[in-house]
Amino acid sequence: MTILHDEGQQAIATESRRVLEARMRKEDLLPLLEVEGRYHEGFWATAKEQGWTALALPESHGGLALGLVELGLIAHQAGRTLSGAPFLTSGFGAAKAIELYGSDAQKARWLPGLASGDSIGAIAFASGADPLPAQPGVRFADGRLDGIAPAVSGGVAADIAILLAAGADGPVLAVAELAGVERRTVASFDNSRCLADLVFAGTPAERLETGGAARDAALHILALQAVVTAHEQTGGAEALMEIARDYAVTRKAFGQPIGAFQSIKHRIAELYGLVELARANCIHAAAREGAEDFITAAAAARLSATEAYDSAARDCVQIHGGIGVTWEIGLHLHMRRARSLALEQGSTLFWEDVLVDRLAGEGA
Amino acid sequence: MSDLEGWRAKAAAWCESMVPQFGKAARKGLSVEEDLALGRRYQKAKFDAGFAGINWPTDLGGQGLGHIEKIAFEAEEMKHGFPNVYFGISLGMPVPVLMQFGTDREFVKERVLKALQGEEIWCQLFSEPSGGTDLAGLRTRAETDGNGWKINGQKVWTSWAQYSDYGVIVVRTDPTVAKHKGLTYFWVDMKAPGVTVRPIKLAGGDSHVNEVFFDDVRIGDDHRMSPVGGGFAVAMATLMIERYVATDSAGFGPHLDLFVDLAKEVRLNGRPAIEDGRIRQQIARNHAMRAGLDSINVRARLMMQAGMTPGPEGSLNKLVAVRSRQKLSELAIDLQGAAGFAFDAHASPKDDWASSWINAPTGRIAGGSDETLLNTIAERILGLPQDHRPDKGVPFNEIPA
Repeated sequence: MTILHDEGQQAIATESRRVLEARMRKEDLLPLLEVEGRYHEGFWATAKEQGWTALALPESHGGLALGLVELGLIAHQAGRTLSGAPFLTSGFGAAKAIELYGSDAQKARWLPGLASGDSIGAIAFASGADPLPAQPGVRFADGRLDGIAPAVSGGVAADIAILLAAGADGPVLAVAELAGVERRTVASFDNSRCLADLVFAGTPAERLETGGAARDAALHILALQAVVTAHEQTGGAEALMEIARDYAVTRKAFGQPIGAFQSIKHRIAELYGLVELARANCIHAAAREGAEDFITAAAAARLSATEAYDSAARDCVQIHGGIGVTWEIGLHLHMRRARSLALEQGSTLFWEDVLVDRLAGEGA
Repeated sequence: MSDLEGWRAKAAAWCESMVPQFGKAARKGLSVEEDLALGRRYQKAKFDAGFAGINWPTDLGGQGLGHIEKIAFEAEEMKHGFPNVYFGISLGMPVPVLMQFGTDREFVKERVLKALQGEEIWCQLFSEPSGGTDLAGLRTRAETDGNGWKINGQKVWTSWAQYSDYGVIVVRTDPTVAKHKGLTYFWVDMKAPGVTVRPIKLAGGDSHVNEVFFDDVRIGDDHRMSPVGGGFAVAMATLMIERYVATDSAGFGPHLDLFVDLAKEVRLNGRPAIEDGRIRQQIARNHAMRAGLDSINVRARLMMQAGMTPGPEGSLNKLVAVRSRQKLSELAIDLQGAAGFAFDAHASPKDDWASSWINAPTGRIAGGSDETLLNTIAERILGLPQDHRPDKGVPFNEIPA
């Protein structure tokens, strides 16, 4: 697939940007930081109304049959305006797991709801510090799940979850409906991610894959989500770079705009470099879905996007000086989001290992 | 197969066929003079095969094709380490400027054909002891002398001047106006009386750059390639000519695969270094960076192919790639421990870590230093203000030295 975006794809980027810039305001996002388990309902309503939830899913089940490229373009815009809920990414991951590894019956049962956004999907692979554990903490036996899946993004509100669980014959990729499952909301620095520990106690679940195939499938889902998240991170980093630039050309000190000082302008130019490298890796990775080197491309996108967003958050606040650390200006919304996105889908430490295993010929 | 793919395949096959005669093995152990002689033969072979002046007009000996074909060829050529370095500046900037601004078209045609065949080499006499990045601060002067001009002064960092037949030069013709406005652009015969070339030995041991002294060097007014006082604009045009060249995300140093191979061979704390987290992190980060640059470059190529202008992000390549190469080379030397001391002054920076390391600073300074590139990104792309410039608008001869 070419990495040059066609007119339709460019229109998706422009239109999603227009809609989100009109509807997302930091004044609505700031209060969400101080309550647990609440998300920006307007954002999620917009995602459903605009068809973003259906975008990358098959037409046979209510999807629009577009792909990672298009979803990535929207995620980029969502990142620019601080998406108000994690469900676009988590729902996509859940739907892809069912589409790729589920039976026809499972697809018919769950995909239409995920495509319309009426049901919210979540991914619960992590255990302890490991985003893809060899020994998952949740157990699967006789069609039932037991144990705790920690800090699941979107877990507070999710209707169904895809899990990596420990079965009798190795890991199991499983799908479970979450009605009746206890959620222990996790107090976080970025509360609108709706993090919750999911407490499974004899919860009915269906198997999608088993053994090595389950682990490979989970890594693939994680990589798909990582590419979406990398776009979101790149969008956030790009927005921060522009905010820093705009501030540096207007704020004056010692008789000139602070952007005339090289310590400031070079810092912003370095951010430009990080953003463009991340964008280039994202565009490449999105176009490699289904290709042999997809995991490698996803890892590169993930690493450069995490670096870009973290660096942009750090430097944008620094360039603002005192005003940058106030609650009201809201740069901390990006600081917080940069870190929560850095953890979701596995941190840099995880993806570095995934990448080097492949480069050194030890993986896959 | 598209036309471009066909072209690329043809280029790849030709390059492959040249390896026995001009490849790394053929160059091993040659003195610079011998290597230059081999280079001239390579350039002639390239001309004869129709790979010289790929995007130049056919009436001047070029192939009349586009940037994209040129870059495709260069990407293939780059894989083999051919002796083409002596012609990079010559055919990259001075000769295209001559084609664009030279007034005597017969003379232009003769020079271009000889340069394309490796018979003549042109150098670019821009930087001076008092100004490299600050090009317009140059002090070499040309005064009217009868119907022509007389040049006095000194240039420095002039690549391949010692082997050059001609050069293009920017000099000050009017010191009483603001510094950008008093410059004029000429070509000079490097063998003319009064021109003295003195090679400068660089840190890595080679001497491809020179000091060039001008003592009462007399030239006719027909050497002038810009209006009097209009030299700065032509100089800028020179620097813009080759915006799109084949780039190398390895920063013209070793490929990352070589680092991975090294990390698999060497042991650290009793384990293969490839298992060490510090090493793994650097491999991962460098890969992500290089993959990003590669994607930027592929996108630029596709855009050109589609008749679009690539974005400004292509300007990141040199900045990002070379400084990363410098650090990775340091780490590669660290990794080797006692074996890391070894140094071969004739090794290639493309496959030897010590050579890559010792030559890396040149790459971060020549052709726009890291700091200058950051300024360019900040000012041209992001719209940030220029630095404070106390000499702005001040007549050159009133700027405190």
